[in-house]
Order: sequence, then C-alpha cells, then structure tokens
Amino acid sequence: MLTHFEQYAVTEMMGDSDQPPRLNGGLCFADEWERTAFGVALALAKNGAFEWESFRHNLMAAISNWEETHALTDSSWNYYDRWLEALEKVVFDSGLATRAELALLLDANG
Amino acid sequence: MTERFNYPPNREALSAARAKALETLLIKKGVITAETVDKVLGFFETKMGPFNGAKLVARAWVDPAFKVRLIADTPAAIAELDFPEGMAGAEGEYMKAVANAPGVHNLVICTLCSCYPWPVLGLPPYWYKDPSFRARAAREPRKILGEFGLALGAATEIKVWDSSAQIRWFVIPERPAGTEHMTEEQLAGLVTPESMMGVAVANAA
Repeated sequence: MLTHFEQYAVTEMMGDSDQPPRLNGGLCFADEWERTAFGVALALAKNGAFEWESFRHNLMAAISNWEETHALTDSSWNYYDRWLEALEKVVFDSGLATRAELALLLDANG
Repeated sequence: MTERFNYPPNREALSAARAKALETLLIKKGVITAETVDKVLGFFETKMGPFNGAKLVARAWVDPAFKVRLIADTPAAIAELDFPEGMAGAEGEYMKAVANAPGVHNLVICTLCSCYPWPVLGLPPYWYKDPSFRARAAREPRKILGEFGLALGAATEIKVWDSSAQIRWFVIPERPAGTEHMTEEQLAGLVTPESMMGVAVANAA
C-alpha cells in the first residue's frame, strides 16, 4: 500500500526507539544541518546505496549506546547527532566514501 | 577533565560541518545530487502533510457542496483540488472523511501506524501508536478527550473510527464561530492535525 519510499522509510520508524522528532504532523529540525543529514540518508537509501534497515540498525545502536553512557537528564542529547553518526557509519560500511576522505574535506573546510 | 565532559567546544558547529562535508563529498563522488536530497525533503515539507488536510477542510467550510462530496466520495473530492500527484492515488483511495456537527464529535484511532492517513495528516504524533491510547480511546473516548483538554458535554455523541489498511479516516472539524470574514487560506491556518484526528477542535486563531 505504501507507494512512496519516503513514506515507507519514516513510517517504519514510528513507535520505535529511532522515531524522529515531530511537530504538528511534520518533521522537526532544529537546524539546517539536521535537515541535510535527514535528506542525505533518505536520498541514499532511496537510490539503493544501502538498505534502509541497515541505517536504522546503526541509528538504534547509536541511540542506545548514547543512553547507556549518558544520564537521562543530559541536556546535550540531540537526535540528529546520533542520526549523523549512524549515517557516517553506513556510508563508510557500504563503501560509498571513506573516513579519510571525509576527514580530508573537513580539514580543508577548516 | 573526565571523559564525560570531554565534548567538542562547539558540538553544534561540528555536527553542521560534518553533515555539510558528507553531503558535499557524496555529491562530488556522484553518489547523490543536491536535487535528489531536495526532492526527498520536499516530499515531507511541501507534498505530503497536514497542510493538505487543512486545505480540504477549509474548502469544505467555504463550500458546503464540496463538503457533501468530500464525505460521500473522499478520493474524488480530493482529486478536485490541485494536489501533488499521489494524493488521491494508491494511498488516497482508502481515505474517508467524517464531519463533526453540533452534538456529534468524531475521533480517529488506528492500530498500525501504516494506516495513518499520511497524505492529509502528515506524521502521526508519538501517542498515536501507544496501545493504551488506542484501547482507552475505544473504551472511554469522552475521558481520553478530556485528558487532551477537550471537554465534551454528555449531550455530544462521540463516534470512534478505527483506521485500517482498508479505510483511513480523517475528521472535518466544525468551522469555528467568528471566522465569517476569513479567506479560505486563512481558514486553512486554523486546521491542526489534532483537529483532523478528533482529539481537538478547530479554534478561531
């Protein structure tokens, strides 16, 4: 019944530990980079660069790892930090880019 | 300093730089294009979402004949409006609208998130999939609506609709009093996703 990948991808997350922040029926981004990270992950999976479930597996692991190492009240929590961590991992694991390439670009950008 | 406090000086700036660099790198390598990323985001931000439902409700408020059609044959009525492709397609053909009226209030629940009428309502709120919400909404809707801050008198009948893969319901709330001067576009601004789920009513600004 789900004809759009975008709809499938986010619906799968609903009710699970990796469901994204939402507000009034929409996605909720605190900053432009969060929006970028979200869009890149979906675009890659939609293109078949990796399985959506592989990314979700990373995301759930990143979230539970953070929760195990931080206090519940830790205000430095940010869903999209974990999202970015999971996205980088799936990008490296599927050979789309290497950690070194990303580091090089980050250095160049200062 | 312990490991615990060893955060980068500006975590936000670092994340922003990392996200940007990753996008730039993947575009440079030809894995994605800026357009594919924009298209994915556009799906959530301009194509499918509660703004579509709000437009339908506002049209129903200003055009009683449209309201009749929207209830009688929801997909056909949706197709009348200039919506993006897919609204009245595979997803939309299962949608059905029910209208609140004096003395009648409708509440929509569902047992699976995939049954949520996404094209008109956007993403479901966190409590929607909660089994206790669904069970209680079916059993004691008046009480649960009270907890949502919607106190309905005993004289108001509450109808509960359970969305399924076959039919995805959404509510046409009543047009608030004192909005006679408002344009259709302004009226659409009063229609919240909650009011189209029936856990709230539409209020004049």
